[in-house]
Amino acid sequence: MRRRYVWILGLAVTLALILIPIAILFPKADPPRDNPTAALPVRKPATDHQPLLPGPYASGEEVTRVCLDCHAEEADEVMQSVHWTWESKPYQIPGHDEPVTIGKKNSLNNFCIGIQSNWAGCTSCHAGYGWEDADFDFGDSEKVDCLVCHDNTGTYLKGDAGLPVEGVDLAYVAQSVSWPTRENCGSCHFAGGGGNAVKHGDLDQHLIYPTEDLDVHMGGQDMLCTDCHQTEDHQVRGRAISVSFDQENQALCTDCHSQAPHEDDRINTHLASVACQTCHVPAGGTGDPTKMTWDWSTAGQDRPEDEHEYLKIKGSFFYEGDFTPEYFWYNGISDRYILGDTFDPSQPLNMNPLAGDIDDPDARIFPFKVHRAKQPYDTVYNYLLQPKTFGEGGFWTEFDWDQALRLGSEAVGLPYSGEYGFAATEMYWPLTHTVAPAGQALLCADCHSPDGRLDWQALGYPGDPMEWGVRSPAAPGETAQVTP
Amino acid sequence: MIFRGRLLHPVFGVLVFAGLLLLVGGFQALDAAAALAVKPTQQASPLHPDLFLLDEDGVNVLESGKPVSTMQTCGTCHDTEFIARHSGHSQAGLDTLAPAGETSTGRPWDSSEGIFGKWDPMVYRVLSESGGAELDLGTAGWIQTVGARHVGGGPAAVSRDGTPLKDLPVRADDPETSWLDPESGQVRAWDWDQSGVVEMNCFLCHIAEPDNATRIEALQQGAFGWANTATLLATGLVERRGDSYQWNASAFSPDGTVPAGQLGIQDPVNENCGACHGLVHDQGDDPIVAISCDPSVRRTVTTGQIIGPERLSDSGMNLVGKEDLIRPWDVHAERRVECTDCHYSLNNPVYFQEAESARPEHLTFDPRRLELGEYLVQPLHDLARGPSLTDAVTPEQAGSMRRCDSCHSVESTHDWLPYKDRHLAALSCETCHVPDMYSNAARQVDWTVLRPDSFARGTCRGTGTTVGGQPVITGFQPAWMPRQEPDGTAPLTPHNLVTTWFWVAGDPAQPVRLTELEAAWFEGDEYAPEVIAAMDVNGDGELAEEELQLDTPEKVELIASRLTAAGVEAPRILGEIQPYSIHHTIATDEWAIQDCQVCHGDQSRVTQSFDLAAYVPPGAEAAFVGGSTAIASGEIVASADGGLVYRPDIGSQQLYILGHNRVEWVDWLGGMLFVGVLIGIVIHGGLRVLSAMRQRGAAHEPATEPVRMYGVYERLWHWLQTFTIVALLFTGLVIHRPDVFGMFSFRGVVLVHNILAAILVVNAGLSLFYHVTSGEIRQFIPRPVGFFDQAILQAKYYLKGIFHSEPHPFEKTPGKKLNPLQQVTYFGILNVLLPLMILTGILMWGAERWPQFSALIGGLTVLGPVHSGVAWMLAAFIVGHVYLTTTGPKPLSSLQGMMFGTEEVEKGHLETQGGEA
Repeated sequence: MRRRYVWILGLAVTLALILIPIAILFPKADPPRDNPTAALPVRKPATDHQPLLPGPYASGEEVTRVCLDCHAEEADEVMQSVHWTWESKPYQIPGHDEPVTIGKKNSLNNFCIGIQSNWAGCTSCHAGYGWEDADFDFGDSEKVDCLVCHDNTGTYLKGDAGLPVEGVDLAYVAQSVSWPTRENCGSCHFAGGGGNAVKHGDLDQHLIYPTEDLDVHMGGQDMLCTDCHQTEDHQVRGRAISVSFDQENQALCTDCHSQAPHEDDRINTHLASVACQTCHVPAGGTGDPTKMTWDWSTAGQDRPEDEHEYLKIKGSFFYEGDFTPEYFWYNGISDRYILGDTFDPSQPLNMNPLAGDIDDPDARIFPFKVHRAKQPYDTVYNYLLQPKTFGEGGFWTEFDWDQALRLGSEAVGLPYSGEYGFAATEMYWPLTHTVAPAGQALLCADCHSPDGRLDWQALGYPGDPMEWGVRSPAAPGETAQVTP
Repeated sequence: MIFRGRLLHPVFGVLVFAGLLLLVGGFQALDAAAALAVKPTQQASPLHPDLFLLDEDGVNVLESGKPVSTMQTCGTCHDTEFIARHSGHSQAGLDTLAPAGETSTGRPWDSSEGIFGKWDPMVYRVLSESGGAELDLGTAGWIQTVGARHVGGGPAAVSRDGTPLKDLPVRADDPETSWLDPESGQVRAWDWDQSGVVEMNCFLCHIAEPDNATRIEALQQGAFGWANTATLLATGLVERRGDSYQWNASAFSPDGTVPAGQLGIQDPVNENCGACHGLVHDQGDDPIVAISCDPSVRRTVTTGQIIGPERLSDSGMNLVGKEDLIRPWDVHAERRVECTDCHYSLNNPVYFQEAESARPEHLTFDPRRLELGEYLVQPLHDLARGPSLTDAVTPEQAGSMRRCDSCHSVESTHDWLPYKDRHLAALSCETCHVPDMYSNAARQVDWTVLRPDSFARGTCRGTGTTVGGQPVITGFQPAWMPRQEPDGTAPLTPHNLVTTWFWVAGDPAQPVRLTELEAAWFEGDEYAPEVIAAMDVNGDGELAEEELQLDTPEKVELIASRLTAAGVEAPRILGEIQPYSIHHTIATDEWAIQDCQVCHGDQSRVTQSFDLAAYVPPGAEAAFVGGSTAIASGEIVASADGGLVYRPDIGSQQLYILGHNRVEWVDWLGGMLFVGVLIGIVIHGGLRVLSAMRQRGAAHEPATEPVRMYGVYERLWHWLQTFTIVALLFTGLVIHRPDVFGMFSFRGVVLVHNILAAILVVNAGLSLFYHVTSGEIRQFIPRPVGFFDQAILQAKYYLKGIFHSEPHPFEKTPGKKLNPLQQVTYFGILNVLLPLMILTGILMWGAERWPQFSALIGGLTVLGPVHSGVAWMLAAFIVGHVYLTTTGPKPLSSLQGMMFGTEEVEKGHLETQGGEA
């Protein structure tokens, strides 16, 4: 028996003598530098809810009650999330004695300014039903709006205070529920600032069905928002500096891409100082033009209206598409203007000063849309005012600034002197979506040339680092040096 | 001190002038000056002081109103005489003037190596020698015609013997002071005092916005003295008044100086170089649009090279498939490497490198440099450059430039490439890194015919039309020709080859003057009726571009007779082919050639033919122009469509491209041997089967007994050799015919083949050691005594006895495993074929490391065919060997013996014949 099979051993030894040297000596192929698709989440199949939800339903709350029959814990999860609370955890913010929370619930911006006293108008984007005043019950799970994120018909529409508008077939919508699509997220996030493409500069309705040229991820790879903004227990990954003060749970390019994804080391060395977005989001407003300036001081005039230039209720604006971003050092967080902070009205007020500079090893040069506005402030107390614009007595119906500011100030509990003016303000919006295909990324000459788009001196360099040297990598906490 | 007297004077004058302006003109002038001062001057040298613009007498031009003199103006601080003298751009061949016909090109009418004296098919006209043939281009005519691409100074300022042109006695018979009037065809005297001369034009390269178009216009008008002034038009310092120019005092500072920033004085940027050298485009915002084959865009028309950081996909060119071409036109331009970073001033202390040959071995770097100040006074304007001899004005600078490997570490980036050194020796970097030209370029210039504008008919390559008939740019693949490098190597390098057809006359030959050519083709401003009658193929009474072609002997005869009538002696058509090498428009690795089979396959790029002429005038022949670094080792053959193609001959380069090159008869013989053995086996085996069937029952099975035949090592050695040889034969076949085995990676198969070969050599060496030390080697050595008798006996057995079930004449024993025929076969295999295979294989592999050894035996061109020939023989042997193992007592006896060590051998013979060992 042993003799009959000895040849197998011989064959194995012979082949080993051939194959082992080949395996050892054959040059190893480099592992791929970047394999982003490997990190993509596997999309789970959705349950067909049609047979489960026969309807009819008279209200959103009724639908929610049915949802909760099976998904008992989900409402609690949603109620933990910022989509519900519109408020961050308390942060210790420089210049403030007490920790403060920030978020849509209580913050000011330089678009529609703030939601307080305007709740019903603003909360049409709240993931709940019926937030129309300060007394909304954040503990009532029946008020959670499941449909706004899970509707797959595209027919669900929320109106004032977040209630479904008349005519929505709630049974039809409820039966369609599935994983959120780009359209679900976009129904609010593409419309920030009061309309399509107004606020961000990198989010607009083109992203519902984007081309590859507009967004290489969602167009080229048909990715969904939730592929990057991965969601566990209804806690959506991602941070927006306008409503957050940390980078906890931020969605990052490097979640999928490697730290040195380029074949060219010269480009990889840029990553120590340059964010991915700087080259790969070469322009803002590439889908629809976005609002670049907003002058509230001209509101209330009877003059010809145009949605993109002047509205009596809102004042004058300037929209720009395909604009060149502005570039600043940025380490992922920004300071915040908090209601009641005083400022020097002779200078434009920076409402979210970016953290990071050339000496901050965690900071990168990052592309921004800078939104510049003129908005009401109290000329005696020198702080920004919250006007009541929406609803009874609001500016949009009465066109009376004094009254609007008085009502708004009462709502936020801030003294109003009765004297108001319009202050110049700035807000910084990072451009991070609408990543262009590689063939449209910036080229060297876009920055490294006499008329390049980076102002080296303003960024803290003595001159173009191609010739003057890069900032030396410093350990965190140390001061970086520019080495000539 | 010399300058002081000159300087004070203009300062004074300007002050008075400015004062007057203020008094009389109010504040208007100041406003204008202020407005100009805010012009963007970001590139201007931050250190350059404000300056006075001086005329040739050293007087401020504001005062004299005369043209600016760069030699005076810049000469205030810089040694302009030195600069002009040490500038190939300025000298343009003046210092290499030779009697006509004694230049490297071999053209009988060429008189220098530079554009002053060397014939250029794109210009056509010939610089006339003193006392030579009838005047074609005198010096003035040369400036008008070629001056657009000449920076001034040199031949545009001094005569051929060094006298300032203005000092020459004006004689109508001296080409330096005479001029051929293109209107009348008459030779006239040229008055240099009236025209002025062209000084070396510092502004053209050193200001931000030189007005080259106006400069060229001034040159063409013969207003030579104003040409440099015209270059300043865009600065606002000077204004145009009809045919003349007037200084704009309001643009000057009140003290009569010009702010350096307003001139935008700077180191030359790419666009300065592009003014003469080709299409350079640094403006990121507006897309590149190239005019098809425009002869005035020099390097671009001759080679298709376009320098710009822009992506091809973003350009305005109507380029086929450009949406996928997201590479920049030139990666160096994209990476902000400027022309002057490689083509630097040779004594620029920033770039200065001591020549390798002059540097002592113990030094890697010599820090002793010229002081910056010294350099700024006397900067050499001989720029580092490559070894092209096509414009060998300054041969001593050939190869002075930084080459790819001066900056790039080739070693570390090409590790993926098998036979790296061999590739790097045989190919220039550009060969793979300029795989395609994404533009069009000149293909043929036909001066045998004239277009209505008196220019040749040009034919472009790299163009095509869409289905809808719209012209598009298809680009083209350059011709790969060996190029003589200064270090003695001749790697393949991409080229464009431009064919020129033209009439010559006289002895020694000289191109027929344009004047006579026009006389032959035109009457007045129209084509001569006789010409139209002969050439108008479609009969519409007009000559379209495609009708301008001398494609029949009759047409040639007509033009020849008309030339003769115009006074030309014995006109005949000559053709020449000029190679233009391509070194720019470099692509990064992603876009470079990486696929082995581009070259290692039947359709190898290395041997790819390159279209030359689009057509051949009857009776004309074309040959390569001499004096080129390109080695025209291939042949020029007629193409199917009536034109010419260049067919490379790589044999002369000792190139043997695995997977492409084969020696047909070796493959035929080897294949026939292999097939012959197969056929023999089929016949022999068939007969054995027949005889076995016939004798079934009659013959008895021979009685056998097991004999311990092979030890463990013998079996391991044998089978290891078996597998490696079979695998080597197969991988070798794939390398030999990669096209047939397209599914295998050529590179991978080559690497596996080499590793297998190493295993085989080690195995063979160990087994030789075993056989020698154990004495077993004697089994392989035929015994001389009685060898032939025994061999005949064995052969008889295979031819006859085996069919009759006769016993083997020599029984196999552990001590004598091989019969005489086997002995002699193995003797041959092991002493001849295997060593030959190993030796040729090692030398082929070693062509990378020790090319000199391979070269001793004739290089790859010999080694390759021998290696494949022996491979065929080994393959044939293996087939026969395997068949013969079936001739034992039972067909599988021998195989089993080699597998298990114990073989069944016929009983009875052991006692009588074996047992010696």
